[in-house]
Amino acid sequence: MIQKVLIANRGEIAVRIIRACREMGIETVAVYSEADKEALHTQLADEAICIGPANCAESYLNMENIISATMISGADAIHPGFGFLSENAKFTELCEQCNITYIGPSAATIRKMGNKAEARRTMIEAGVPVIPGSTESLTDAAEAAKIAEQIGYPVMIKAALGGGGKGMRVAKNAEEFERAFQTAAKEAKMAFGDDTMYLERFVENPRHIEFQILADKYGNVVHLGERDCSIQRNHQKVIEESPSMALSEELRQKMGEAAVKAAKAANYENAGTIEFLLDRDGSFYFMEMNTRIQVEHPVTEWVTGIDLIKEQIRIADGRKLSYTQDDVHITGHAIECRINAENPAKNFMPCPGTITDMYLPGGKGVRVDSAVYAGYTVPPYYDSMLTKLIVHAKSRSEAIKKMRSALGEVIIEGIHTNVDYLYDIINHPDYINGNIDIEFIEKMK
Amino acid sequence: MQLNQMFKKTKDNYIPLKNTTAPTGQTKPEVPEGLLRKCNMCGKAIFSDEVKANHYICPKCGGYFRVPAFKRIRMITEENSFEEWDTGMDTKNPLEYRGYEEKLASLREKTGLDEAVITGKARIGVHSVVLAVMDGRFLMASMGEVVGEKISRAVERATKEKLPVIIFTCSGGARMQEGITSLMQMAKTSAALKRHSDAGLLYLSVLTDPTTGGVTASFAMLGDIILAEPKALIGFAGPRVIEQTIGQKLPKGFQRSEFLLEHGFIDAIVKRDELKDTLEQILNLHVRMPEGVGNDLSEQSSAEFRESEKPVEYTVEQRSLALEYRTAWDRVQLSRKQGRPVGEHYIQELFQDFVELHGDRYFADDSAVIGGVASFYGRPVTVIAQAKGKNTKENIARNFGMPSPEGYRKALRLMKQAEKFHRPVICIVDTPGAFCGMEAEERGQGEAIARNLYEMSTLQTPVLSLVIGEGGSGGALAFAVADEVWMMENAVYSILSPEGYAAILWKDSARAREAAEVMKMTAADLKQAGIIEKVIKEPENFTIETFSAVRKNLIREISDFLARYDGVSSGELLEARYERFRRM
Repeated sequence: MIQKVLIANRGEIAVRIIRACREMGIETVAVYSEADKEALHTQLADEAICIGPANCAESYLNMENIISATMISGADAIHPGFGFLSENAKFTELCEQCNITYIGPSAATIRKMGNKAEARRTMIEAGVPVIPGSTESLTDAAEAAKIAEQIGYPVMIKAALGGGGKGMRVAKNAEEFERAFQTAAKEAKMAFGDDTMYLERFVENPRHIEFQILADKYGNVVHLGERDCSIQRNHQKVIEESPSMALSEELRQKMGEAAVKAAKAANYENAGTIEFLLDRDGSFYFMEMNTRIQVEHPVTEWVTGIDLIKEQIRIADGRKLSYTQDDVHITGHAIECRINAENPAKNFMPCPGTITDMYLPGGKGVRVDSAVYAGYTVPPYYDSMLTKLIVHAKSRSEAIKKMRSALGEVIIEGIHTNVDYLYDIINHPDYINGNIDIEFIEKMK
Repeated sequence: MQLNQMFKKTKDNYIPLKNTTAPTGQTKPEVPEGLLRKCNMCGKAIFSDEVKANHYICPKCGGYFRVPAFKRIRMITEENSFEEWDTGMDTKNPLEYRGYEEKLASLREKTGLDEAVITGKARIGVHSVVLAVMDGRFLMASMGEVVGEKISRAVERATKEKLPVIIFTCSGGARMQEGITSLMQMAKTSAALKRHSDAGLLYLSVLTDPTTGGVTASFAMLGDIILAEPKALIGFAGPRVIEQTIGQKLPKGFQRSEFLLEHGFIDAIVKRDELKDTLEQILNLHVRMPEGVGNDLSEQSSAEFRESEKPVEYTVEQRSLALEYRTAWDRVQLSRKQGRPVGEHYIQELFQDFVELHGDRYFADDSAVIGGVASFYGRPVTVIAQAKGKNTKENIARNFGMPSPEGYRKALRLMKQAEKFHRPVICIVDTPGAFCGMEAEERGQGEAIARNLYEMSTLQTPVLSLVIGEGGSGGALAFAVADEVWMMENAVYSILSPEGYAAILWKDSARAREAAEVMKMTAADLKQAGIIEKVIKEPENFTIETFSAVRKNLIREISDFLARYDGVSSGELLEARYERFRRM
């Protein structure tokens, strides 16, 4: 039975986990770096142990010290939060070796899902749709064209050693293919010294739809509906919501079933997320599985009424899920905005510093998950997310109005934040109309 | 706002989880034995398996752990090639020291070793070698009778089978429990190594932390080439003993590998993960390849070599006719010009697989001299260069190419080594003169130069000297008692600098330009006077960028030189060298 949890993280997620534990009557141990002595999680936990200098390689990623802190404090479980060691199979394995309850899936699952090729193979075997693509590397244009035909146009041509958009071309049809293939190959040869290519179905302006799942140790898996995380800047989620406007009840059921199938195929245990790309025609493809709690988990909590962190602890403690899929109902609409210490005017440069004054909104249907307070100095060493503002209302349009009102109340003085930028997005006609995809921010410019 | 202790802690108010289905009474968290260990250098907790996977190096601070003997053997030899010799020898107790047998028995049990050294034969690359590896876990690898005996037997067998010996040392010194018998092992092992050396065989000694006492004062310091791991403690008296004796605290880094390198006692410090490659490279340069294994040049090297067979004629763009008519003073200035290729460039451009060897084994390593072994297109040679820097900063570090006595002594040591292994010696001369300073006089600059002239006259291997810039006086001659001396076209070689010459004869150093003409110091003058054998043409603006034509010609010329002296007996060689100077 879990009596004392060590939270191997910092920031608002550490605070979130400490709060769940407090409510459950579980003692908490915070770990902190030398730069985080004044951090909220350090102050709020029952005990706090310094695990190293500011540099996270020596503190929040320092497995040896975190294990030692667990031993010293007598904690019997570790919650990894997100980021840092949360998807590190070696760390999970260590916990297993040291008889520490790891609040999350097994090391084997993390390893399997962390390997892109293996995850893809597992999903294909389980019958979960993946983006169609070539299985072997290609160098010959004519041969590649045949495979492109099988995959179906439009196709994306990618360099095997690629990165940074080099050696990448989209071919909309067979006529364009040969030329696109050759240009991409030439570019790849120049950039990477290798012109081995592969093909993938090109999904144009898709939405990012992810499904939250919960799985216990006894093979019971439920999904808690989806989150639409299409509002992204440089592959970083900015605003998330649940449910998604793009899903009909029928599609939700289909995707939810696929998510459950995926989780079962991965022998999954604890809370996890299956990420899909959703095409305009309603076809969807497995992208990856996140084997941890996610930043945007509160929107799911609000529409389902389920406390995900508490569920994580209960599952890790060996308890059965107390409900089935039929008991899960989606009520109303929730939206989350991520408030970051960054300056949109300077290309979103992170801007650490001291918060001189602060006022955060409240009221019915407004939730603030925060790690900051007036007088707190945001250290420069870590992620710039300060606070999550989450709202819940009966409908999407009411939720948007509530978010607009709440964002309008946020006052954070002393450092730059992206609050006004979020306000602009929330007020954008396309956003209001639900006309969003992962290119939204790119198009908004 | 300070949050310190402001939140309520709810420790006493916990409501335990209800309806638990998990089994109660599960075991408490515990770190399994051996999973983590503490680094004794940085003090941090580290994973044991990471240390083992990383050559026994701390993943946090990069510090080195001591390596158990069999692990070491696995690290540096080819898989499954090790054949252990002389196992199960009985350790005696000559002093009847109380508890010695019990101590040995418990160590045997604990370590699985029967004594503090493992000996045998193994392969490194294609070469069979005799290995002795000490293991510090066994009484700090102190040398008692069995250790001395196993090493001596291994060396004797290597002498008989004509194999190189590699010893990894790690020892507290002689084994106190065995008294005078231990002391005698120093003499015994040294004597065995002398016979091995006299048979013309290679001995490599690799010093690891710690190497002290009677081991340092015997086989550890006798290697033809002595390598050490970084930061290893190496010394005769232990630091604690020294501190107690002199009543002073020793400086940081005293008796560490780096200290020994600086003081000229070891050839090189080699990182643990590069050790196997370095050993293999040195073996390749010393040991004849076994039957059937070609001493193959890389494709690039052999192409270069073929290319060099055709002499390069300079085009008009590369050399205008005016070059032939430069004044002596022009050439003096060119020979000193910054940007002109220096010794290091020649080594890098003409030779392959160069392994730099440091130190005179007496006092220091002189950075004004670079020396070592290399391959000249498949043929092992010893290369020794007087080294000016490539820029001002390097020049300061290299003392502007002015060797100190330890530079000449290092050169002589490497020449003697070349003689033992029948390698030709190629000297590169580029110095304003031997360093004149108080310290140089204190350590016998004159003696050091004289010794080189004396010993080089009978060095039983071909010697070629190439003057590439300034050939300044006795400091240059100590690198040029050779079978042939060649000069680059704009190099100079003289009794003294023209400035010095003018000052002595005319009491006016400003008349250097005039002196240069009088002194007959250019390559062409010296060729005509029969002081040198060959002049190597230079392109008009001679820098490392325009080196390629010179390089091709030099490769061809050196290769002809080596061929010319190949069939010459050592008697004829020395007679001709004697006559070469006798007639001057």
